[in-house]
Amino acid sequence: MEEIGLIHYLSVAAALFGLGLFTVMTRKNAVGILLGVELILNAAALNFVAFEHFVAGGVSGQVFTVFIIVLAASEAAIALAIVLQVYRNHRSIMADQLTSLKN
Amino acid sequence: MPSLSALVFLGLAALTLGSAGFVAFSRNIIHSALALLGTFLGIAGLYVTLSADFLAATQVLVYVGGTLVLILFAVMLTSRIAEMKVSNPRGRPVVAFVLVTAVLLVLGRVATRTPWPAEARPAMPSTAKLGHAFLGEYLLPFELGSIVLLGAMIGAVVLARRAVRRAGEKE
Amino acid sequence: METRTFDNVASLAYFAPELGLIAAVLLLVVWDLASPARLKIAGLVVISLAALAWSGGMGAYFLAKDAGPHELFHGLLAFDRFSNLFRVIFAFVTGAIVLFSVPPRGPGVAPELRRDQGEFFTLILVLSLGMNLMAASRHLLLIYLSLELVSVMSFVLAGFKINDARSSEGALKYVIFGGVASGIMLYGMSWIFGITASMHLGECAARIAALTAQQGKVPEVVFVGTACMLAGFGYKISAAPFHMWTPDVYEGAPTPVTAFLSVGPKAAGFAVLVRFFSDALGAGSASPAVATPWPVLAGCLAMATMTIGNLSALGQENVKRMLAYSSIAHAGYMLLGFSVFSDAGVAAIAFYIVTYCFMNLGAFMVVMAVAEQSGGDETLSAFRGLGRRAPLVAAAMVVFLVSLTGLPPTAGFVGKFYLFSALLTAGGAWRWVLAIVGVVNSVISLFYYARVLRAMYLEKGERTEPVAVRPLLGATTCALAVPTLLLGVYWGPVYDFVASSLSMLR
Repeated sequence: MEEIGLIHYLSVAAALFGLGLFTVMTRKNAVGILLGVELILNAAALNFVAFEHFVAGGVSGQVFTVFIIVLAASEAAIALAIVLQVYRNHRSIMADQLTSLKN
Repeated sequence: MPSLSALVFLGLAALTLGSAGFVAFSRNIIHSALALLGTFLGIAGLYVTLSADFLAATQVLVYVGGTLVLILFAVMLTSRIAEMKVSNPRGRPVVAFVLVTAVLLVLGRVATRTPWPAEARPAMPSTAKLGHAFLGEYLLPFELGSIVLLGAMIGAVVLARRAVRRAGEKE
Repeated sequence: METRTFDNVASLAYFAPELGLIAAVLLLVVWDLASPARLKIAGLVVISLAALAWSGGMGAYFLAKDAGPHELFHGLLAFDRFSNLFRVIFAFVTGAIVLFSVPPRGPGVAPELRRDQGEFFTLILVLSLGMNLMAASRHLLLIYLSLELVSVMSFVLAGFKINDARSSEGALKYVIFGGVASGIMLYGMSWIFGITASMHLGECAARIAALTAQQGKVPEVVFVGTACMLAGFGYKISAAPFHMWTPDVYEGAPTPVTAFLSVGPKAAGFAVLVRFFSDALGAGSASPAVATPWPVLAGCLAMATMTIGNLSALGQENVKRMLAYSSIAHAGYMLLGFSVFSDAGVAAIAFYIVTYCFMNLGAFMVVMAVAEQSGGDETLSAFRGLGRRAPLVAAAMVVFLVSLTGLPPTAGFVGKFYLFSALLTAGGAWRWVLAIVGVVNSVISLFYYARVLRAMYLEKGERTEPVAVRPLLGATTCALAVPTLLLGVYWGPVYDFVASSLSMLR
């Protein structure tokens, strides 16, 4: 078995990205969609760290990943506050039942 | 015989992707949210193998301790627990499957054909370097991060306080 | 003047506009808690306007002094004429929105403007800070950070109407779309970082240019990475196919917020888009021997965006929703100028943004003034007979709509003229196709804008009594209508000023 290299990490990240996209496209529950977004963000973060370790050196990739984690947390806080508000107004957070805005 | 590091990598990758698959395919939203825990931990482990020790700790503390708990709260507050079984329904799986497969094929093709200027590096702890970067070259984004958090905090309070206040009025 | 890179301390003098905004944000939080109730709103408005005047004034001062170009904070931010021009534009737009958001005195009107004003103005100022940073970012991390800063504030503002199911629903769609788009953008950024081993746009450019020369074409990995990043940028400027959130968010959000989102973050999105392509990809200065895919890619985006925007706007009864689709269409027109990748194209975009600020802000302001007097009704029926009920406001609306259509003698015509002339000067069959699609689209847009005109002047409403428009709204509306007309007749100095302010750090 060969040494674990960059391409292995890229494959894991790409698979994670694909699963995230799939989740986002198929889910109806708003929280379920947000879970998919977290998968995509983690895929990108893993890519950054892997590229930094194998290609760039330095710490810029890790710095970027710290910001991904922080901003994901703040975005999640806002998103879930909005989810709560939607639930109060609609009694549902299923995307196909939110139809007060339509052409 | 695969080396130990390869075995560790394979185990972590399996944990990450297996849990991610659960997130994507489970029909119960609580199972989905809990499976995210496995993904986060797997990624944290992968960070350790990439000599990003500080990140691994941050990933566990912020993602697992913060974001995931937040998500679970939202799940509990917005679903009737009794009807949990099909709380995370799915639509259009075929279209999505085709699209995602196409995207992955393109990504895989480009990733394998690109001559990445990669070289193997020894695993070194990087926390000290990270700290210096945050107080030197990356001071501005570090400080701006606090503005983002301040804004997000104010925003979340504005939105959530109203939702809670209204719930109180109704009862 | 030679370009200098400053460290953290030396950069602060050139970062003064943003420091002023940050100070005002903190001051607003304190004032909101500690001020007497009677003076509260006046204080909030004064603090906000003072900070914006400082930010815009400093931008104008730097432009007049011809300071720079420099690199600030170890190369994270650019300080050049481009970023200073956008500082002025963003300060103007945000200032207009602040005036726009001053709540009325009378009871019962616009209740959403009277709740949590302190938080509202704070978020608006943070958003303004984020836009300034977007226009100045020269580093992938700063691009992501500032985009996210603007996005997160926009999510909150879009959901600001508490009791309104439409507002929270729009905000939820916004947050989901924004999260996905920024996730995809991050994935693309990671690939750009992987191939160039740098996040600094200048260093990325050098590495990409070397690879391009070596391979004789743009490397696939750069193409895929850029395509992913376009998801993030495209969502900010609401370009198709990332525009889906736009109509719902614009309809649900409070009208001042809608006006803000349709002008400010969109202009900032264009600024970061233009800077990324000309700085990191060198799209404007590539040697002609290498065929780059960017003009065709941008052209397709432009055509799809304006066609979808205009066709969807045709059947709308709600004027706010119609203006939302029209703002998608306008992003398409600006992408036409972008697809040229020349200095003339960038100048045309910047000038169009200036004209678009006046006409679009004005149109939304009229919608708000009318809706306020008709119990929140934003549909066409509220506009019936407006020509008699509120002659001045109706006349201003005519100016805005004619300008949005792009007919002379208004600013919109001149803006479109420069866009098309930049397109046709570049030449080639593809550019002609784009131009023809653009003209056809302008004709389509005439139909739905004309519906509002017809409702205002030719149709009779149920109500005939005069509409009492708040003096503040009326005055601001007229103040926006005058430059919309003036720029249509005498635009030379403004265009020259804008066109000369686009030199960018490379």
